[in-house]
Formats: sequence, C-alpha cells, structure tokens
Amino acid sequence: MAVDDVPRLGCGRSIDRIWATIDQPPSPHEEKCEQCQSARERLKKLTEATRSLRESDLHNTSLKPRLSVKNAIMNVARAEIRRSRRIALHGKENGTTEISEQALSSVIRFAATAIPGIHARRCHIEIRSGGNDPSGEDRPSGNTATAANEGAHLIINLRVAAAPSVEIPRTVDSLRQRISNAITACVGISAGTINITVEDLYDV
Amino acid sequence: MEDRGAGFESELELELDEGSIVARAQDGDLAAFEQLVIAYQDRLFRLAYRMLNDRGEAEDVVQDALTAAWRGLPMLQDVRAFGGWAYRLATNRCLDLLRKRSAHPETITDLEDLRSATEFRATYGPGGSDPAYEAETAARQDSLTTLLNTLPPEQRACWLLREMHGRSYAEIGATLKISQSAVRGRLARARHEIAEGMSEWR
Repeated sequence: MAVDDVPRLGCGRSIDRIWATIDQPPSPHEEKCEQCQSARERLKKLTEATRSLRESDLHNTSLKPRLSVKNAIMNVARAEIRRSRRIALHGKENGTTEISEQALSSVIRFAATAIPGIHARRCHIEIRSGGNDPSGEDRPSGNTATAANEGAHLIINLRVAAAPSVEIPRTVDSLRQRISNAITACVGISAGTINITVEDLYDV
Repeated sequence: MEDRGAGFESELELELDEGSIVARAQDGDLAAFEQLVIAYQDRLFRLAYRMLNDRGEAEDVVQDALTAAWRGLPMLQDVRAFGGWAYRLATNRCLDLLRKRSAHPETITDLEDLRSATEFRATYGPGGSDPAYEAETAARQDSLTTLLNTLPPEQRACWLLREMHGRSYAEIGATLKISQSAVRGRLARARHEIAEGMSEWR
C-alpha cells in the first residue's frame, strides 16, 4: 500500500477533494452523485465533532499537567544554567567587583525596554584589551575578563527585533544611547562599542 | 505559512514576540524560558494525552520534551522554529512510548482518566444549556475519541497535530519524516476512517 494513497469513493472522487470544498456549496457533480453526497454528510459531522472536541479540550481544566511538571523542568534548567563569564569592574586592595555577562545583559535588555518598537534578543559581550593587539579579542584563561584594565573596553553585540513601523536608524541610535547611559549609571564603566543587529521584524 | 483555522490558540499572548522570548531563553534567561514552558506545556499535554490516554505518561512526555528543548535551545538556528520543534519533540516521545507499549501489550490505558476527561467535557459544547444538544455533542465527541484510538499511532499523530493543534503540513511532515503529500494522504485516510466509523455508530 502506497503511503500517500488517498482513499477514493466509488465515483472516483478522492476524500481529500471533498474535504477541501466541504464549506462550499456542492459542485454540479456532487449534487448528482449519491456517494459524494453521503461522504459530504459524514465529513460535515466529523468537522462538527472535531471542532467541538477541540474547544472542549482547550477549556478542560483537567486536561493540564500538574504544577510539579513545570517545577521539574525549571529545576533542571536552573541546575544546568551555563555559568556565564564574569567581567571585572575594578580591583582594589579591599576586594574586587565583578559582574556576570548575564547580569550585564539584563541591564542592557532593561535599558532597551525604554525604546518603543524594540524587543531585545540575544546579547553577547566581549572584552577587548587595550594596547595594539590586532586580533582584538582577549580572553584570559579563567572565567573572568577584565574591563578595568587601562584602555580595555566592552564590545556589546545585541540582536533585536523591531516593529515594522519604526524608523530603524534613528531608533537604533537612541537605543545605543540608552544602553550606554544605563551601563555607565548602573555599572560604572564605559560601554565601549555597542553593535546592534536588527535581525527580525515582529508584528504589533 | 499555511493559514490556520479559527479557534486555535495564538502562539503566545504576551507583550514580547515569541521570537524574542526564544532568543532570550537561548541566552540562558530563565524567566524567558519559563514563559515558553507556560505557553507550551498545556498544548503539549493535550497532544500527549490524546495520543497516550494516560495522564502520567502525558506529563512525562511534556517534562521530557521541554527539558530537551531547554538543552537544545542554544543550537536552534531560527527562533521562529521553536513551536514546531517543541511539538516534534513531544510527538516523537509519544510515538516511542506507543512502540514500547506494543512490545509489552500488558500495559493498559488509564480508563479512570479517560472517564473523568469525558465527564467534564459535556458542559463545554457550543449549544449552551440545551441538554439534548449537550448529550448529542458528548456522544459525538465520545465516538470521535474512541475511533481516534483505533487509528495507527502515526495517523493519529497526523490528525491531532493538524485538526486539534493547527500545525502546518510541512511541520507535520518534518516531525514524522514523511513528505507533505504523505501527510495529506494520512490525514485523508484518518478522516475517512473516523467519518465512516461515526456513521456506523448511530
């Protein structure tokens, strides 16, 4: 038996074809053909039963997983969360201050909420050391990169979705300004380079 | 994208678009991931329950599928593919369980569960307060779910994904690793079988 073999009525019409036009008035053939008429009748009943089952399942409060299911999923997620890199803000004799890439991303995303028509998406932060390192990227072995070195600066790569109505260059400029101000205000370091990619438009 | 009939849930009724929520979850944002869990757990449960007729197993499927989604998130290329992917993870887990079941036929379905779901349902017919109409709706839904359970698992998955969840032919095909025309064929056969069965019922 062929897998995509569609069942047919005795008159040669496929069930698929009858189904496709079930909401329309019967065709001249269907008006005359008894087999088509009874197939239409049966399929209409099925349509009605399908719709009613879909509605009742959707509203059936007993057809939901227990709260423990979501808790178990979130527990795994929390336990396995990737430890993000930390960025040193400054080091003094009385102790060091670091911020995780995740926390800094939150500052950035929160700043972005002030710009209408922008949804912040993924955010990746690099530390570029000072001096003339042509490769630019300096990832110290260890989990902590430092932004407090002389001349080092942050490179923020933020991807966003924009509302179709926004004027992108102007909006992105004010987004960049917002982020820069927020990082200086919250974290006390200069934001350095802020690269913004509009990767998608969302429907409003 | 194919059009979806009225009556299906919107993908996510939140301020943020789903793509942005998925992207944040990819960055390890737990609050964003939790929103995805909330948005998908009920519909995946309904799918799994109608596939397996067992509440506990359906919960396991939801848990496994969404845990796998968390682990695979960083690899997801297109944020818009999340929904289809979550459905695929859940559907394939259901099919695996059913394969195991057929290898161990002593496993029985949870009849108590089936009954409680049936009892609740009658009040949600479109007829409102007409008891005769409600009774008929309930009877029709009963025969529909009974017939659904006689279909081969992959055909049942096709029917549920399309008719209960409004998923696209392309996505269903990708889930079951069959062509779109094969999806149409299976759907047509499933509808035919159920429609025939329902007419014999009365």
